[in-house]
Amino acid sequence: MADTPETAPTEDQVPVVLTPTEALCAAVGGLQRVLSAKIAVGEIVIRTDLASLLELMTVLKDDPRFAFEQVMDICGVDWPQNAERFEVVYNLLSVSLNHRLRVIVTTDGVTPVPSVSHIWAVATWWEREAWDLFGIPFSGQSDLRRILTDYGFVGHPMRKDFPLTGYVEVRYDEERKQVVYEPVKLVQDFRRFDFISPWEGMTTLPGDEKAHREG
Amino acid sequence: MSGSMSGDTGTELVWNGRELPPGPDQDAVMKAITGEITGKGFVVGNLDRIVNWARTGSLWPMTFGLACCAVEMIHAYMPRYDLDRMGVIPRASPRQSDVMIVAGTLTNKMAPALRKLYDQMAEPRYVISMGSCANGGGYYHYSYSVVRGCDRIVPVDVYVPGCPPTAEALVYGIMQLQKKIRRTGTILRG
Amino acid sequence: MSETATVSEHTIVNPETRVIEIDSHALNFGPQHPAAHGVLRLILEMDGEVVDRADPHVGLLHRGTEKLMEYRTYIQNIPYFDRLDYVSPMAQEQCYVMAIEKLLGIEAPERAEWIRTLFAEVTRILNHLLNVTSFALDVGATTPSLWGYEVREQLMEFHEAASGARMHANYIRPGGVNRDLPAGLEDRMLAWCDTFPGFLDDMEGLLTGNRIWKQRTVDIGIVTAEEALNWGFSGPNLRASGVPWDLRRSQPYSKYSEVDFDIPVARNGDCYDRYLVRVQEMRESLKIIRQCLTKMKPGPVRVLDNKFTPPNRGEMKRSMEALIHHFKLFTEGFHVPAGATYTAIEAPKGEFAVYLVADGTNKPYRCKIRPTGFAHLQAMDKMAKGHMLADAVSIIGSIDLVFGEIDR
Repeated sequence: MADTPETAPTEDQVPVVLTPTEALCAAVGGLQRVLSAKIAVGEIVIRTDLASLLELMTVLKDDPRFAFEQVMDICGVDWPQNAERFEVVYNLLSVSLNHRLRVIVTTDGVTPVPSVSHIWAVATWWEREAWDLFGIPFSGQSDLRRILTDYGFVGHPMRKDFPLTGYVEVRYDEERKQVVYEPVKLVQDFRRFDFISPWEGMTTLPGDEKAHREG
Repeated sequence: MSGSMSGDTGTELVWNGRELPPGPDQDAVMKAITGEITGKGFVVGNLDRIVNWARTGSLWPMTFGLACCAVEMIHAYMPRYDLDRMGVIPRASPRQSDVMIVAGTLTNKMAPALRKLYDQMAEPRYVISMGSCANGGGYYHYSYSVVRGCDRIVPVDVYVPGCPPTAEALVYGIMQLQKKIRRTGTILRG
Repeated sequence: MSETATVSEHTIVNPETRVIEIDSHALNFGPQHPAAHGVLRLILEMDGEVVDRADPHVGLLHRGTEKLMEYRTYIQNIPYFDRLDYVSPMAQEQCYVMAIEKLLGIEAPERAEWIRTLFAEVTRILNHLLNVTSFALDVGATTPSLWGYEVREQLMEFHEAASGARMHANYIRPGGVNRDLPAGLEDRMLAWCDTFPGFLDDMEGLLTGNRIWKQRTVDIGIVTAEEALNWGFSGPNLRASGVPWDLRRSQPYSKYSEVDFDIPVARNGDCYDRYLVRVQEMRESLKIIRQCLTKMKPGPVRVLDNKFTPPNRGEMKRSMEALIHHFKLFTEGFHVPAGATYTAIEAPKGEFAVYLVADGTNKPYRCKIRPTGFAHLQAMDKMAKGHMLADAVSIIGSIDLVFGEIDR
């Protein structure tokens, strides 16, 4: 890092000077209830579990060493192959100490995530959004309505198993004199390419089908 | 100004009702008509033409910005493009407006409200679909929440392409609408 | 338009779902309201003419950008960022591109960074001009917008000269910018810099000391510093409440560490202060633009690695390899190594950020866009409470909402 003189001394001679990010990572990692703390592309990421989330967040906000006055963003990420498929990602910012932190918890989509809206008022809408788009329930959240999707929308669109074009589309019905919902009918489907080159992906070349079937 | 106000009183007004460019010819017609009015107090003309002239000369659009195109639409109202000089003055209420400019992406959530606004407008009413999102969904065509073209909700008269169309393109679209009204407009409803 | 008295929720079309009767003191503001700055729908619970509770309904412009992004390659996604906050397009491109560059581990060349800084500030002026003048229009002053939009037109000419588009530039690309500035543009921009302060003085002459303007904005929608932090405010709205926080200064990116500028901070946190901060920021942006134009040196504007940036046209006509690179880049795109980043910039409206999760393919696995106005709009209830209905319009104008980014 910053302390590499030209003589390249051995490790124990140089006092270890941590960058502010590393120092914060070490401090946060030393907290109870933090499962893991690491630095990736210059950003600190810690993981914790649902049971200790509220306690940890309170510490992060109130402890003067951390002083995370703001939660800038709460969002979900869907990993359908995992048993606990949803990650809830909190991006915290300390204005007074000028540092950032990312806290990640995982949930299976049934167990509710404790709401942090009592710690940061802004969390309400972020949690509503995560509920709306991913179907992640939050406990202790008094206002868990849908926020972005249509009134009466069914499903949670940002889940990986939700189709891009959704299930319904709207049209004005001249006879019923109102806007009606109908199943999606596309003139042309969305074209998805796998981008696998024929040399890598296509093992059976055109014309060789018979040979491969026999073999 | 178009309209066939051909006085049949023997004045030397020879005008077949076609639109005249600004110049001495147009001035002569205007002068003759003014003379008729001051002399006799009336002129005789084709009612539908006069109605169309009035319609095209004061197309009041509803200020209805949905998304990005709204910014270009506002730019068209503002001094550089100055739609006011064509009699196009934005109105805040659908009851007062003649044309709806659908400027931006129409979403499923917004569609019933858009239709309601259209229904509130008085006849004759026109719709300009501005930008590729309103024309057919555009960049957001495959989204789960976007109406693939506002013509699924309201009947559209003029489509203005672009993402977003420049203010000039919108002005051209409005001129096309005026042309369309002149060509097809009747005093009948519908 | 707004309708009083027993409004049933007309937006629910499915008859069997529900019909909600809102009591006679509920006022439906929007979604088509000239002061709603787009498609805001506010349910205001009124006590006489005093707002008791404001419940903003957003999502009327929810276009599913984040979902669409998962189906398109990294380069194909850049234009979505123009269309989020369509009043300040380039700032958001910059944020997304910076996130990609961080994961890829590439850096844009010197000149490209200067151009990005330059246009980020041009965008800031574009944004503040639109906001301040339409705010004035909402409150009843027409002239500032008539003048301000002409200045916006001049800035859009610069946009057009650099990128080819008036608004949606798609100019900033991973590894630099799309192309170099055309000859003569820098001189034209410098000449413009001399005219702009005059306009700002004129505009301030109309508003800053204006008695009506002050009556409509001073002490309306006060947000204290603690409240602003608690409600996730950022950008000018946070600085108007007295928190000296600007990412350009505290976590500098691009070339902000090499330019000299001040950060205006106000004290009261009302609508008037938010206006003052924005006007002052335009003056600071002008300083930055001047410095960018003088400090900029000729040089390459994108990295030379053709895995990330396209080869130039002439080369493509001669070299087979260049042709293949071009084809691969614009069909398959590049693969971003697995990882995640939260990259934030000081967009004109506040902290705009992208939480980008890459899984090693050529498409983002998840791209969460952190809109600035989302948090600000949420505090609408808090700010409007106890104010008159007309003041709600002032508050909406002053917190600078654009629904493209709030709803995404």
